[in-house]
Amino acid sequence: MMQFTPSSEVDFVVIGSGAAGGIMAKQLSLAGYSVVVLEQGGWGKYGHEQDWTKDEWVNDHPGPDDELMSDPERQPNTFRRTANDKAGPGTHSYGCVVGGGTVSYGGSSWRHLPWEFNEASTVGPIAGTGLVDWPISYAELEPYYVQAEWEMGISGERVSSPFVAPMSKDYPVPPVALKASGALMMTGASKLGLHVVRGPLAVISKDYMGRSGCVNCGMCSGFGCHVRARSSSAVTVLPIAVKTGRCEIRARSYVHEITVNSSGRVTGVVYFDANKRPVRQLAKAVVLSANGTESSRLLLLSKSAQFPNGLANSSGVVGRYLMLGNTVSASGLFEHPLNDYKGLVTGAAIVDYVPTDPKRGFYGGGRMTARGFDTPINFGLRGLQPGAPRWGAAYKKALVAEANHKMTITSFVTQLPLDTNRVDLDPDVKDAWGLPAMRITSQSHPDDIKSMEFFRQKGLDVLTAAGATKVWAGAVNDSRGSAHNRGTCRMGNDPRTSVVDKFHRAHDVPNLYIVDGSNLVTGGRNHPTMTIQALAFRAAEHLIKSAKAGTLNRSR
Amino acid sequence: MSARTTSRRAFLVESMAGVGAAWFAAHYAGILEAGEFVAHAAQTGQPAVFQFFTREQALEIEAMTSQIIPTDDTPGAREAHVVQFIDRALTTFEKNQQTAYVQGLTELQAQSQKLVPGAVRFSALTSDQQIQVLTAMERTPFFNLVRTHTISGFFAHPSHGGNANKVGWKLVSYDDSLHHTPPFGYYDAQPTARR
Repeated sequence: MMQFTPSSEVDFVVIGSGAAGGIMAKQLSLAGYSVVVLEQGGWGKYGHEQDWTKDEWVNDHPGPDDELMSDPERQPNTFRRTANDKAGPGTHSYGCVVGGGTVSYGGSSWRHLPWEFNEASTVGPIAGTGLVDWPISYAELEPYYVQAEWEMGISGERVSSPFVAPMSKDYPVPPVALKASGALMMTGASKLGLHVVRGPLAVISKDYMGRSGCVNCGMCSGFGCHVRARSSSAVTVLPIAVKTGRCEIRARSYVHEITVNSSGRVTGVVYFDANKRPVRQLAKAVVLSANGTESSRLLLLSKSAQFPNGLANSSGVVGRYLMLGNTVSASGLFEHPLNDYKGLVTGAAIVDYVPTDPKRGFYGGGRMTARGFDTPINFGLRGLQPGAPRWGAAYKKALVAEANHKMTITSFVTQLPLDTNRVDLDPDVKDAWGLPAMRITSQSHPDDIKSMEFFRQKGLDVLTAAGATKVWAGAVNDSRGSAHNRGTCRMGNDPRTSVVDKFHRAHDVPNLYIVDGSNLVTGGRNHPTMTIQALAFRAAEHLIKSAKAGTLNRSR
Repeated sequence: MSARTTSRRAFLVESMAGVGAAWFAAHYAGILEAGEFVAHAAQTGQPAVFQFFTREQALEIEAMTSQIIPTDDTPGAREAHVVQFIDRALTTFEKNQQTAYVQGLTELQAQSQKLVPGAVRFSALTSDQQIQVLTAMERTPFFNLVRTHTISGFFAHPSHGGNANKVGWKLVSYDDSLHHTPPFGYYDAQPTARR
């Protein structure tokens, strides 16, 4: 791999190697630019994916080389519901390894629907919320959805449905195997007149682009993929970037400041290397792709004389409109074995309730996914129905009775963007490097809670219609943190109300691009990754045009 | 039968009160092999078997684990060698829980003596008494720690010392082959589900 000297200026530093960072690194290096990718996490099994563990105990207790997610002890965050509360310990964590969250995610790859880009206009404004139209349309993004699906490798079926985004091209590979939970969802849905769609998933169902198809090992979501079937950044775009000879990935490189000169242009970054030594990497431009929460935290950490409120934050919007991601689940037991521990975490979804419907009396929609993912330890610890015995002879009996007979419907639902839901810097708590910890303030809009209650009941209804012998669902939970975090550097045309323009360029800093989930103006139905990837391909195209035209440093 | 084997057998029989007679008869050789290591370690003085626990501590924890996942007509935590899993965990993945175990064992003894005045060890109580002691403790952090470790050890990969002969996985019909082909279960095998 090419190695650059930090003191010599490279064309681009890309902060983060996940869904967006990987794509940016590939597109920029293929276009002929020198790129240094700085990843906060470790290498994982980059280049030797066959070594990813399938041992649940090891995966739950990862050593440095097995870590997939941020470590809540080294990278703590705090949480509170409202600005009036004192924040306590938080549970937010995110993908933190070369390849980011794409290395271990479930892989759902739904596009946003066309009307999700202008829901404020079609649904009407909702008082007290930041629901606004996007500055781009579905038609503008559609070619990049196709590009992302084909370059990453998405399996799925192209359907013609008012509840699914229209596609100009099929998926490159067919859907993965239907699991028993998917078959049961189809049974329940057909009785209720609902529609099930299979996929789309960032897991290839057969060999594609030199990678082998899924072997249905079952140790899927939350694990690294040992056969490279999961279409993560680490096995798709990043190796292509490295192969150009113009891209260097530096793992365990924790950027804590984006530096600027006296004219307010970005000059590079300062990061802590694996030994916690500060290193300054100079760059002509910076692409920030650290995720929907960490990108805003880094901007807030990067205070300077020119940017006293944090970099690119003249609007005061950095960190605001956070959407952590709400889900709600219902489960049921069935007479015959499902063996849903085999295969992927999901692969089928009911889509009828994706749009909001005024008749329901609240704003909100979502996608109901069928799943039955229970690895053995997880099943033993928390897989039994509520109220089941926790130990002893009766517990053991319940283990046998319920094992492999359960499925769950998890609905991924809307969350309205609110300016009070935000990321900022905790005044007291520091991380292991001595930097202020991320503080999250989040309380969902009442309509979001009603949406979750709606989907909780729908889940129970579908399970019952599918023939469950017993159904249950816990109380709805307002999210305290999730890998689906979005919205803290929103995109828009007005520099007073948004952080980046419609090409992801920071309004305040011409040679700073922010490309990740933080740009999402609305959160979709809480399946963000495919839209992040499409946006990244589109942002890269514009960035390369600007670089070639020599306008990167020019203000508009 | 040597004296040592006899005593091992006595240890096993004592510790397996309540085991289904049919299963016991069918699996006796396996039980002897699977269940012997606490006693074996003590009798042969092999220091390598337990890295953290003393023999007495191991007997106490083993008794707890076998109330959490008891042996009935199928193997339980004892046959899975869960205590060995916990012992290894306490010197590796769960090093930071050593103190919790040492303090917890004191709590266990106190609770045993509270219930049965003069009791020396939890593991020497009858099964019914043990259940009473643990019921009184079931909301304590120590009980929940041992519960978590017992279940983890019962279902973790055998290379970590528990789930011996994959008895945990067999109990819940988990196939660890890591390469499966559809149909996976009953419902996806039905003709209506096929495409």
